[in-house]
Amino acid sequence: MKFRFHERVVEAQPGDTIAAALYRNGQRVFSRSFKYHRPRGLLCVSGRCPNCLMNVDGVPNVRTCMTPVRDGMKVKGQNAYPSLDTDFLSITQRFDWLMPVGWYYKTLTHPALWHAAEPVIRKVAGLGEILPSAPTHYEHTWMHADTAVIGGGWAGMQAALAAAERGEGVILIDDQPTLGGQLRYRRRIGPIQDDIIHRVRAAGNIRILENSYCFGLYEGNLLGVLQRDPHAAAAERLVHLRAGHAIVATGAYETPLLFPNNDLVCVMLSTGVLKLLHLYGVQAGKRAVVVGAPAPASEVSVELRSRGIEVVTVVHPDAVLRASGSSKVDGIQTRTGSFSCDLIVMCGPRVPDTGLVAQAGGKIEWSAAAGAFLPTILPPHVSAVGDAAGETVVNPGVPLPKSKRAFVCLCSDVSSADLCDGIAEGFDQIETLKRYTTATMGPCQGRMCQLSAIGVCASQTGRSIADTGMTTSRPPNPGVTLGALAGPKHHPLRRTPMHYAHESLGAFWMDMGDWQRPRYYTHHSTRSETECILHEYRAVREAVGLIDVSTLGKLDLRGSDSGRLLDNVYTHRFSDLRPGRVRYALMCDEGGVILDDGTISRLGEDRYFVTTTSGNLDFVQQWLEWHLTGTGWDVHITNLTAGYGAMNLAGPKSRDILRKLTDCDLNSGNFPYMDCREAKVSGIPAILLRIGFVGETGWEIHCAADSAEELWRAILDAGHEFGIRPFGVEAQRLLRLEKRHIIVGVDTDALTNPYEVDMGWAVKLEKKDFVGKTCLTQAAGDRAREHLVGFVMQGPGLPQDGAAVVVDGQPAGRVTSSRYSPAQLAGVGLAWVKSLKAQEGTLIDVRANGELVKAKVTMKPFYDPEGIRLRQ
Amino acid sequence: MSFLLPCPNCGKRSVYEFRFGGEVKPGPAANASPREWQDHRFNRVNAAGIQTEWWFHRSGCRQWLEAVRNTVSNEVLETFLPGEKRG
Repeated sequence: MKFRFHERVVEAQPGDTIAAALYRNGQRVFSRSFKYHRPRGLLCVSGRCPNCLMNVDGVPNVRTCMTPVRDGMKVKGQNAYPSLDTDFLSITQRFDWLMPVGWYYKTLTHPALWHAAEPVIRKVAGLGEILPSAPTHYEHTWMHADTAVIGGGWAGMQAALAAAERGEGVILIDDQPTLGGQLRYRRRIGPIQDDIIHRVRAAGNIRILENSYCFGLYEGNLLGVLQRDPHAAAAERLVHLRAGHAIVATGAYETPLLFPNNDLVCVMLSTGVLKLLHLYGVQAGKRAVVVGAPAPASEVSVELRSRGIEVVTVVHPDAVLRASGSSKVDGIQTRTGSFSCDLIVMCGPRVPDTGLVAQAGGKIEWSAAAGAFLPTILPPHVSAVGDAAGETVVNPGVPLPKSKRAFVCLCSDVSSADLCDGIAEGFDQIETLKRYTTATMGPCQGRMCQLSAIGVCASQTGRSIADTGMTTSRPPNPGVTLGALAGPKHHPLRRTPMHYAHESLGAFWMDMGDWQRPRYYTHHSTRSETECILHEYRAVREAVGLIDVSTLGKLDLRGSDSGRLLDNVYTHRFSDLRPGRVRYALMCDEGGVILDDGTISRLGEDRYFVTTTSGNLDFVQQWLEWHLTGTGWDVHITNLTAGYGAMNLAGPKSRDILRKLTDCDLNSGNFPYMDCREAKVSGIPAILLRIGFVGETGWEIHCAADSAEELWRAILDAGHEFGIRPFGVEAQRLLRLEKRHIIVGVDTDALTNPYEVDMGWAVKLEKKDFVGKTCLTQAAGDRAREHLVGFVMQGPGLPQDGAAVVVDGQPAGRVTSSRYSPAQLAGVGLAWVKSLKAQEGTLIDVRANGELVKAKVTMKPFYDPEGIRLRQ
Repeated sequence: MSFLLPCPNCGKRSVYEFRFGGEVKPGPAANASPREWQDHRFNRVNAAGIQTEWWFHRSGCRQWLEAVRNTVSNEVLETFLPGEKRG
């Protein structure tokens, strides 16, 4: 396998991570530090420190020590110019005296200073750059488990097996490519590992998520898990895992010791050195100095020597003075002498990974015996096992020397001297110190630095570590890519049953909520939008047109109390509606504000057919059902919106077409305006409502969705000889505007009551009780402050929806809808004006194309004001 | 916020399946004044503690239910269909 690292081609061996392959090929500098651009090399080799972040195939901040090599991948260093090995910006460390702790707060004290400094700081500091075009693949999935075990080490596998033996469904989450935890690289523990890993893999009720880490343990034992596909670029899956019980077996991780130049390249944690050695066969150096307490230091020394690494000496942490070297370590000075070496191995304190327990609400307290913060009180349904619970953790005290080069926080270059300065300036609580110095706030989220920072804070303030406490653990930790949280961009799309018929007619689509509707039909011609819409308009006014209205909300109400419910929720009365009749329906809330409108048809004694506006269906259904709760009334509400297709056939010749397709008597004497029938049309059972939203003779025809496209085509075929045209939403909006029919939510807002839009006739205040009666009774008596009026433009220009209405130079209202009306040969529209202006013939000024144009107020429809045509 | 709500029809479900419907409180009498209606419509108790609430199981049985919830801890003490309160 080969991959490209800048201009170099690097050979990798099977099983290599990027970091292991680079290290084997001699690369020692892996990143440049955030502030001082100091060279940094591998430290933890376990995905916890910030030192190996690189750009991989265009994705920034990839932890290369955890990412397997893929053939042909492109890897680049970050935050360095011109290269990782020679970074001119490392000059900044010479000027560290210019950048004391809290530099931002002390220096950039004026917005102008910040604006001047920001571009430079952004260039010099920071991490990788985001490439918007980088290939990414993100998914979300949901999982459930009786027990979720986080951590695939010895303790986690034991816990998973125990739960599996109890018959529970177990999900085992491990952030490494394969199970085993420290068994994988601490050879002394020996051959038992294969047996337990085999038993875990063989258990039928344990599901293993490898290469996955849990970044948050949320309310209700919801685990946020990020699952990575190591074999694909930036392929990540966010798992929403709900567990009955969560077992935290995240183990303990090693953290660096504090001494001057502890951040030099080739100063590594012992676990990192052992991982390189045992997992990848890479020697971290030839001549090593091991720094640590006698027991762990001797274990590591034995391992190193057995693999041919010379151990120059073992030094107790208390004896270390400083490490030396420029681009990488070349020696160590101790109280007993200086030693030259090319590797310093730190056996640092082991920190139980208790973050998830803390997030879940557990209590974490300092244990002097363990030298670590351990969970003491666990939240319900959460437990901690193994090293995460501190089982084998025993940390001796470590020295915490004050030095500008003893780095506590590697992520943002905070030294122990910086922390001391912060404390001296008064930030002597660990939470304020964290915010002031930014220690623990970088990509490692405090994993490498929290214990040292707390130690420095405690020793400087003279408090105990227990009293100093720890900073709050918050999810996500470790960090998650925003892309994974956002997930794939799925958006639900609803198509009407006639969708493909529209497509063959050259529909120009528009989105309305989740629905796609034809705005107009091009008929695959090159006519302009305006021409297409005008043709459709003319067809409806002069001959006949057909529009798909399947998006209307459709509810079927059955039961003996249906009329009672509708009387209670709608403003009109429906219990007295004769079967076979249709009535306009207006719904208001308790404050008398219009919520929705539609039609209600009584199809039988106990059967009503309710239509709602397309966008409000869910709300209306929930509103009806809420008002039904607890009443014990006999009403069953069924949502037929997706089950029924609907179309509106309108125009003077609509009867001629329909007559060809149905036996139903369509003459106005037997089937008058606002009547409804159930009949077969073209052999298809349908509900016919004689209503007239567009102001012509017409029928709204509802039928089963399966048959809707067939019926649509049958009507178009039958109408061919009469010049039928399908029409879209735009023509419908013009047609209805000429009739002054309002659209709830377009012409009304969150304060509109029926009296302000001249629909008092739809409110039956004499009903005993209904939703909004009290407020509507008051509104009926008051003079409305504003009124929705029609207007006809008296000059050229057409106001946009929302344009201002001006009276005497003062804003006096707004336009809600406006179109050019072929019937008036002028621009017409609806506008809110002060009630005083709501008089027939009043002149108002409307802003159109930046100028004020006179318009005449009218309270009548712009077309067929007497409504003769729709009754014909 | 990711607690579970036990739906009386469907069992324990994620709160994201539900629509919150506000506090359960008696409506004003039929002859109440507009001011009382105004108070009912716009003002909330907003209890920090245990309150009874409306929830609609939008992604489940599509039924309204009532839940007794501690608004501080999100502990759900009880859920029931309207008019079926136990105990």
